[in-house]
Amino acid sequence: MNVLLSVEGLEKSFKDKKVLHGISFEVHSGEIMAILGPNGAGKSTTIRNIMGIMMPDAGEVTFHNHQGKGIPRNKIGYLPEERGLYKNVKVMDILLYLADLKDYPLKKAKERALEYLEKFDLKGKENVNMEELSKGMAQKVQFISSILHEPELLILDEPFSGLDPVSQEVLKEEIRNLAKKGTAILLSSHQMNLVEEMCDRVFMIQRGHKVIYGSLEEVKREYANFKCTIHGKNDVSLLERIPEVVRVEQKDDISIIYLTKDVEAPKWLKTLPDDIVINELTLDRVSLHEIFIDIATDKNLLKESERQTFEEEVGGENA
Amino acid sequence: MRNSLKVAKWEIKRNLKNKTFLISLFVTPLLIVLFGFLGTLFGDDHSEDATVYVNDELGLFASMEAIVEQAELDLELKSTDVTEADVEAELEDSENTAYMFVNETALTEGIIPVYASDDFSNEGQLQLLTQPVKGLQLQELGLTQEQMAAIAQNIIIEVQSLDDLQDNGASEEELLAGEDPNMQRVVPGIFAGILLLSIIFTGMMIFQSASQEKKDKIAEIILSSVTPNELMQGKIIGYFVLSMIQAFVILAFALGFALYKLDDIPIIEYLLQPELLLFLLIAVLGYLLFASLYVGLGATMSDISTAGNFQSMIMMIPFISFFFIGPVFADPTSTLAKVLTYIPFTSPTILLARLIRMDEWVWMEIGISLVVLVVSIWVMMKLAGKIFKVGMLMYGKNATPGEIIKWLRA
Repeated sequence: MNVLLSVEGLEKSFKDKKVLHGISFEVHSGEIMAILGPNGAGKSTTIRNIMGIMMPDAGEVTFHNHQGKGIPRNKIGYLPEERGLYKNVKVMDILLYLADLKDYPLKKAKERALEYLEKFDLKGKENVNMEELSKGMAQKVQFISSILHEPELLILDEPFSGLDPVSQEVLKEEIRNLAKKGTAILLSSHQMNLVEEMCDRVFMIQRGHKVIYGSLEEVKREYANFKCTIHGKNDVSLLERIPEVVRVEQKDDISIIYLTKDVEAPKWLKTLPDDIVINELTLDRVSLHEIFIDIATDKNLLKESERQTFEEEVGGENA
Repeated sequence: MRNSLKVAKWEIKRNLKNKTFLISLFVTPLLIVLFGFLGTLFGDDHSEDATVYVNDELGLFASMEAIVEQAELDLELKSTDVTEADVEAELEDSENTAYMFVNETALTEGIIPVYASDDFSNEGQLQLLTQPVKGLQLQELGLTQEQMAAIAQNIIIEVQSLDDLQDNGASEEELLAGEDPNMQRVVPGIFAGILLLSIIFTGMMIFQSASQEKKDKIAEIILSSVTPNELMQGKIIGYFVLSMIQAFVILAFALGFALYKLDDIPIIEYLLQPELLLFLLIAVLGYLLFASLYVGLGATMSDISTAGNFQSMIMMIPFISFFFIGPVFADPTSTLAKVLTYIPFTSPTILLARLIRMDEWVWMEIGISLVVLVVSIWVMMKLAGKIFKVGMLMYGKNATPGEIIKWLRA
């Protein structure tokens, strides 16, 4: 997969506050890359700097398929987080205007617009005024406007916010299709389940700093330890005595046992004592959602678990 | 530039498809014409002839009537026998009426008693009616007709400027044709004035368009396709065309109305003068200045209804000059008028007003004023561009003066 966009050492300050600290990543064509992070982490600022809507204080943004200076605006589709469209104009008019601004041939734009309106369940709405559309419908029109001109790079800032589950599915499907056809997609979101489902790689950002960067698998392997969830009334101390356990969280009759990083699942299962009550047992990795919350709330449980493991090892050696 | 034109085309199309714009496009000139029409109605009402009853003991009634006719006075003379003693009762129920007693006292003491109703306002014209009495006085002194004529004749100063001497022949012809050389400036001046006014009002639409785009949050989508400068220029060009359309409609109405009401004045001839080009240039420069002011201002506000004091004050800037129109019209060569010509935000309106009123154009002053305008347009566009760039992406709140200054420094 060839690199379409690379961002290197992006720095940006507002007034005296530095909001981006040396942000670097790449987006390849045909992949879905997610920028994750809590509110105010710097996702939208990063995206705006890529789009040239803001100028970075330092660092470089390179579009590899583009010769010459500036940003190849015509090859980029952009759906900002703060988005809307003119109120008192017809759906088709606004779509054609935005396509025209991208220098896309109007006839083709019209055909594609009708196609996409049908795909997004908006058939027959082309001559309706924007203000008559529901919020979800308007969002779909905004999405169509960002992909109508067949961009090589599609930047979506929180594309799923405000959409109902059905529309979310349609949108997800379309984003996947675009990636399959070779479009490079950079999307930001805090809906971790969606990101986990569809992204190839993730870049997690917190207070303007890179926290995690890599393919979803790598990230999971690196950060997502196993956790074992047991339904059944058990004593905490009993569970804590099981080897390779970092921490136990208990709520009612459900216990979540966080395991160390290098645990081998089948072996560990065999170490379970005979006297614990198991009505139901699941063994899975900590989800992206949990990692995200972990980072966003500064708990850094994962790091803590690493440190604990380390201390235990050191302690063990000393003993 | 191509993108600017696309934006301009879009703004024009969007507005022309918009009912609100279309309605105001035609309602504005209708209102102007309507007020003009009402004005003339009131005007007619006012000039209704006043009735003057003359108790004439000297036999001068006929000569007085002749004067009224000759001087086209707004008076209707009627002969009466009412005495000074009864006049109070007679005046009680009458409107716009006066009683004049022309008798021996007038001859001997030179005083003509007049009793008038409260609303009588033609005293000045009555003065003219005293001429026959004066004539009679002189006659009684035993002067000859010629001596009397010489005395009765007022002495008039006749000023002839160099221009008059040079194109004496031509001006005489013009005067014969009933033309007033002043009209050659006034008509194109009014034309340009209407243009400037409609341009200022449409300029305010730019402001709305910018702040609406912020409110609807479309700015960032547009700015992903065009640069802020292209967007700003596109808006300025687009609304310029729209204001031209608006001005054209107003002028079509006004011209139609003028041709209908003033059919004895060749309006079109007066309009198509070389002066018109300069007036149009001033109007266009005025537009560019105010448009850049408004487009920058629009970018600092999320909503017109939340405009702070600072923003409201800036919004009023183009209207400052209208406060000075009166004094400038009264004396177009005063120091005040000159100074205002050189101040960027008052110069388009004041320069226009002065050019209409001044008999002699001082090209030096016009030149300086135009240079001031062009330079301030350039500066204003630069500043507006800076404000626009940052302001358009700031959602949900109005910029404070401090913030705006910071953007300007950036």
